Amino acid sequence: PSPEVSPLAPGTNLLFAQSGKIEHIPLDGNNMRKEETKTLLHLPDRVVIAVAFDCEEKMVYWSDITQPSISRASMQGGQPTAIITTDIQSPEGIAIDHMSRNMYWTDSILNRIEVATLAGRHRRVLFDSDLTNPRAIVADPANGRLYWTDWNRDSPKIEMSNMDGTDRTILVREDLQLPNGLTFDPYSRQLCWADAGAHKVECIDQYTHLRRKVLDEIQYPFAIISYGRNLYYTDWRREAVVAVDRVTAKEVDEFLPQKRSRTYGITTSYPHCPQGENYCTRG
Amino acid sequence: DATVGSPTDCQECPCPAAASCAIVPRTKEVVCTNCPTGTTGKRCELCDDGFFGDPLGTTGPARACRACKCSDNIDPNAVGNCDRETGECLKCIYNTDGFFCDRCKEGFYGGALAASPADKCKACSCSPYGTVDRQTTCMQVTGQCQCLPHVIDRDCSACEPGFYNLRSSQGCERCNCNPIGSTN
Repeated sequence: PSPEVSPLAPGTNLLFAQSGKIEHIPLDGNNMRKEETKTLLHLPDRVVIAVAFDCEEKMVYWSDITQPSISRASMQGGQPTAIITTDIQSPEGIAIDHMSRNMYWTDSILNRIEVATLAGRHRRVLFDSDLTNPRAIVADPANGRLYWTDWNRDSPKIEMSNMDGTDRTILVREDLQLPNGLTFDPYSRQLCWADAGAHKVECIDQYTHLRRKVLDEIQYPFAIISYGRNLYYTDWRREAVVAVDRVTAKEVDEFLPQKRSRTYGITTSYPHCPQGENYCTRG
Repeated sequence: DATVGSPTDCQECPCPAAASCAIVPRTKEVVCTNCPTGTTGKRCELCDDGFFGDPLGTTGPARACRACKCSDNIDPNAVGNCDRETGECLKCIYNTDGFFCDRCKEGFYGGALAASPADKCKACSCSPYGTVDRQTTCMQVTGQCQCLPHVIDRDCSACEPGFYNLRSSQGCERCNCNPIGSTN
């Protein structure tokens, strides 16, 4: 069964972090317009790990581990604003709930998952137990679900819960090693992850929990994002962004930045939020 | 800015050899865009994640960026393993601690530099009854906990021969058995 493919809006871009920069690759359908790549944000003295996008206000969010913080800036330009700067040590994943206007993040030193509004208010710890190396986190706002990975070498796992922290359960724990990257595609209902220990990309159906291998023998994935029929992942060893067709399960393209260093978080920016509503947006 | 037309429009990048540079449109600041491997920053003066040093000698003698040196007690899958300038290790594993992850963290003892993780740092597990002030720390290498009077063993969990009542938490008391009626 071929996963459903989302409509491909013009004006979509890949955003990824590398060496204190957030780079911007325009997407033309399922193709990367690599020659039009440019730097969206220069943060030369920072190490940016996670990158996330709010489709409502068209803001990019990122985490920095040098002066541990979460910041945001408008895609149209404008000054970066730090939102979370205290009581934060190693933020490695950010999930945006564009409907409820909240963000979630993982911290691999405090070993917590926290939530706050997109402006950083009403901050609350969602989980502070059974977390060893929490990293990637993604939201499915339409269904009020949250998914995250923990690459704990002794018992790696992918977990899920409701967005208020209730109903926490382990979704995947078999045949998992270093699940660094995680992405959710609302159109196909596929949750896909990239494993740097098993060297694989795999997906699981949100409802049936049917698991499917997309790619193996990959090198060292860090982050992954689903868009259209492709998955795009950053790779520490290749120091690249790799495009994978998830229908044919084949690598289709790669982008090698001029600068040779590890590539970190990746996300997409797009002009319109996906349709939908949830508990918090209903009047 | 080559659009003005004067001889000084184009200037050499203030970057190490082979690195290109660009002007940030909003701030007019010049930043290097293609720093040599392992380095980053506006002037390639910083080290990338996983490396440490001071490539331009901003705070002292120049030190090229090198991979974090943490006694094999960091995980290569972690980010931010060491301070990019000083090299201080920030994410020691196997219960190690210290600037180079070269000693056991509080409450653990053994050899942080042992080859196998199983031989590295073990929990002190001091007996709360037999240890002074119920301390949870012990000697780095031997693991000896600080025992109350007449309490023995590494973890202060037993009384000296001829003593009893470890659970008093005040040290063990002499048995005071009558030598005539006792067997030993």
